[in-house]
Amino acid sequence: MTATIAASTADSRPAGAGATRQRRVDARNGRAGALFAAPFLALFLLLFLAPLGYAAYLSLFQTKLVGGTSFVGLDNYVRAVQDPLLIRGVVRVATFFVIQVPVMLLLALLFALALDSGLVRLARVVRLGIFVPYAVPGVVASLMWGYLYGPDYGPFAQMSKALELPVPPFLSEGWMLGSLANVVTWEFAGYNMIILYAALRAIPGDLYEAAAVDGAGAWRIAWSIKLPALRPALLLALMFSVIGSFQLFNEPNLLQRIAPDVIDSAYTANLYAYSLAFTGQQTNYAAAVSFLLGLVIVIVSYAVLLTANRRRSS
Amino acid sequence: MPEIAPNHPLLSRRGFLAAAGAVGLTAALAACGADSGTTSTATGPVSQADIDKAMTTPTELTFWTWVPDIVQEVALFQKKYPAIKVNVVDAGRGTPEYTKLRTALQAGTGAPDVVQIEYQYIPTFTITDSLLDLRPYGASELKDKFVDWTWGQVSGANGEIWAIPQDTGPMGMLYRQDIFDQYGIQPPKTWDEFADAARKLHAANPEIYLTNLAGNQAGVWHGLLWQDGANPFVTSGKSDIAISVNDESSKKLARYWGGLAQEGVIGTEADFTDSWYASLNNGKYATWITAAWGPVFLAGSAKSTAGKWRAAPLPQWDASKPASANWGGSTSAVIKSTANPIAAAQFAQFLNSDPESAKLFATEQFFFPATKALLTDPSYVGDAPEFFGGQQVNQVFADIGTTVNTAFTWPPFLDQVVTDWTETVGKSLTARTDAVAALDEWQSRITTFATNQGFTVR
Amino acid sequence: MTTTIGSTRPRRTAGPRTAGRRSTPLTVAMFAALAYFLLPLFWLVVASTKSTEDLFTTFGLWFSDAPRLFTNIQGTLTHDGGIFAHWLLNTVVYAVVSAFGAALLAAAAGYGFAKFRFRGHGATFNLVLGAIMVPTTALAIPTYLMFAKVGLVNTPWAVILPSLVSPFGFYLMRVYAQDAVPDSILEAARLDGASEVRIFFLIAMRLLAPGLVTVVLFTLVATWNNYLLPLIMLNDPSLYPVTVGLASWGSQAVGGGSGANSDMLALLLTGSTLSVVPLVVAFLLLQRYWQSGLATGGVKG
Repeated sequence: MTATIAASTADSRPAGAGATRQRRVDARNGRAGALFAAPFLALFLLLFLAPLGYAAYLSLFQTKLVGGTSFVGLDNYVRAVQDPLLIRGVVRVATFFVIQVPVMLLLALLFALALDSGLVRLARVVRLGIFVPYAVPGVVASLMWGYLYGPDYGPFAQMSKALELPVPPFLSEGWMLGSLANVVTWEFAGYNMIILYAALRAIPGDLYEAAAVDGAGAWRIAWSIKLPALRPALLLALMFSVIGSFQLFNEPNLLQRIAPDVIDSAYTANLYAYSLAFTGQQTNYAAAVSFLLGLVIVIVSYAVLLTANRRRSS
Repeated sequence: MPEIAPNHPLLSRRGFLAAAGAVGLTAALAACGADSGTTSTATGPVSQADIDKAMTTPTELTFWTWVPDIVQEVALFQKKYPAIKVNVVDAGRGTPEYTKLRTALQAGTGAPDVVQIEYQYIPTFTITDSLLDLRPYGASELKDKFVDWTWGQVSGANGEIWAIPQDTGPMGMLYRQDIFDQYGIQPPKTWDEFADAARKLHAANPEIYLTNLAGNQAGVWHGLLWQDGANPFVTSGKSDIAISVNDESSKKLARYWGGLAQEGVIGTEADFTDSWYASLNNGKYATWITAAWGPVFLAGSAKSTAGKWRAAPLPQWDASKPASANWGGSTSAVIKSTANPIAAAQFAQFLNSDPESAKLFATEQFFFPATKALLTDPSYVGDAPEFFGGQQVNQVFADIGTTVNTAFTWPPFLDQVVTDWTETVGKSLTARTDAVAALDEWQSRITTFATNQGFTVR
Repeated sequence: MTTTIGSTRPRRTAGPRTAGRRSTPLTVAMFAALAYFLLPLFWLVVASTKSTEDLFTTFGLWFSDAPRLFTNIQGTLTHDGGIFAHWLLNTVVYAVVSAFGAALLAAAAGYGFAKFRFRGHGATFNLVLGAIMVPTTALAIPTYLMFAKVGLVNTPWAVILPSLVSPFGFYLMRVYAQDAVPDSILEAARLDGASEVRIFFLIAMRLLAPGLVTVVLFTLVATWNNYLLPLIMLNDPSLYPVTVGLASWGSQAVGGGSGANSDMLALLLTGSTLSVVPLVVAFLLLQRYWQSGLATGGVKG
């Protein structure tokens, strides 16, 4: 209310001196804006760009155990694009992305639609319960699932044995990626659900009323009104999932403890970069690997975006 | 209602590319370099006067160690040298500590003065010139106090003394007397008997295996190589190395263990995992190929099996020439960049060679000793824990300790060797595929790495 | 000036609410899903009542004959001179300082970008966004080396400072401020002679509150759960946050060699339970606030 009044006051100022004064105000405002942004940007420069630049610089050198450090130009990058371990890691996280992300987002979408439909009893309890894993540290989540997956003492194994069924080999080479996908889905499905749910709640009521007047059923409303409204939120969730998947690190790093024979030091691309940097003493090469991984993420994000936008315009 | 539309910066194509490009550009701009710290350290012997002066000058030392309750031993040192204050920091067990140490060394600041290092990692830190040679500080005089092979482990190619032994792990075999009795198996004296027993036991009860050879445990593999008299990593100078992890001795091991794995008569699950603990508790394995720290460890980890275990030497390739190896155990080393080399060296020496301090390690932390005095001390070797049915297990391992080969040396890039082992030989054991072929792959991977790192591979 | 005051608040209008009509099959399905999400937590609570031995010998999803939750809690809290409580406190301090600091910085910067134009405006904004895509492990070693030079390694600042920069928080606040703070209000306040700083703190901040809550929440959870950064930066266990502390107990419980101790497993699990509780309780108690915060976050981005 105050704003409306204020706005009308502002509009009523004399027109003559307006132009010059406006310019002066803009210049002053511009400086003020930069000042507001300055603390953040200063820290961003110091804590993000400077290390990044340093990493880029390091990636142009090579340090050998014998012979020391020398400038090698782009050699590290040339080596990295031919590195079978890196390629394997990237392919693996790409597979992970293709399998896990659609499942997680679809689940989150279904949960959000179900909760928004008003057809579920105790919906608040369900909503909170599904969201709770988001508050659990990744360290603890991996620990818990690690035990649940256990081939001898894990409850699933115990139940299978009691029922005389074959024990599901969660931690075997063939299942591991799926088991990891399950942990990540468990952690983040609820979070995505809340985001989508919030977007659903923000759909104006008059849209539903109009649809009801037109005689649209629940499914038709979901399809024609709800899904389009969720599009931006879904797209953003997808973007973050690209970044999250390709940078997959915490879960494999922690599950390595219980399945060291399946998860090796190059299981995911990011884990590989970490191992190179911290245990392999190859800081320079690790920096190059990280940059290439960043590049892959940029390309995939862009491809996802392009696909989504093309589909929308067609 | 505002919403994310395709024209939002992050989600529009142009904005996106601009963002991505901008990051790349800025990244290329900034640059700075790390300079390495320079410290003067003694080359000739340090005089007693210098030592006395240093030990009475108020000094603070930082000591990284993961030994629980080590403050008791440290207190003994501080009682004798009240001027020196030792800050004990637990920077992680093994790998996490080395990771931090390496990063701190690279940064040139933040490294401790004294650090706990396992034997096998000493060459990894001497190749980067990070450890202080303790000879000028009187370490040579301690040689006779320690078991011979431990001294070999802490000595460099040119006689340097890189660290002082703290505890050790001569390898032996722990076995389940009850399971052996039940299936009529005698404790195997040779590896041939061991293989027969493995087949016999598994045939009698498919739920039980004679042992587990973990596909993630390069330490045991190196121990078995060591027992066989192999010395696969030989460096004579700082820039050359001979690598032979697929020689005849190694191939014999690979055929043996790979064969047992392929027959399916031994387990190959990862060790020190939750699943492995469960297996120890529920009697899935009748033996554990382990080291002298194993008995105490087992007594804490498999309480439900108390009284059922016994200790014996490793099975032998040649029963007339008993041999063993070491797995585990630590040393105290001084970091070269220390500002107080004399005090740091004195601390490392006192901590592990002072009789009272060394004894505390054995009685408080239950470490298997590195000093000759303790290994002949009746109060130590005479201990007869109930967990092992009253057997004097310390005596068993003290005897084994005298059979450890002295020549074995570790490679100067252990992490790489271990990683490559796990991904070749270890994997072949777990997957029960051709272990001999995996050896060749291991050899080729290490050789490539060494060449890339500038070594002359002989 | 299309923005009106009405649109600055998240719309809470309901969809076609079907009061009284409930679907049993759908309810059952959702409860099945709920069971999946709560199962691991239930297991954790059960496990923290067990001894190390019982962990491996009794059925995982039910209590053993000799529950010993309080023995375990006591063991966890008193182990190593009560270091666990210290870790929890560290986590709270790191998370709260980072969360509020990051939210304030992001709000100021987002507001600055949304409401003002200055040189390098667009390029800077894109730069910050692009930074999201860089793998964090790429930054770890260079950041360490730089921090080491200025003596920040092994201090709380080594964990807090990097957490203060939240590119996503900045993005969110910019999108949010665009509409939540009408230009007309700013104009009016300026005409009244208020300084820009005063306008920001007295007027804009109030309008930005829901967005702020979201950023606080994001950063709080991110810092609370942070593992890699403190693992690298901190050497002294008395500075550890609870995640790194628990992981160090974990490695004590598993790694072989001298000094290993599998009794730590029971403490590790009890400690995990205790570390999850504060955040979950905070979420439950503050649900009104964060749900409205996330609502705006979700709708806008």
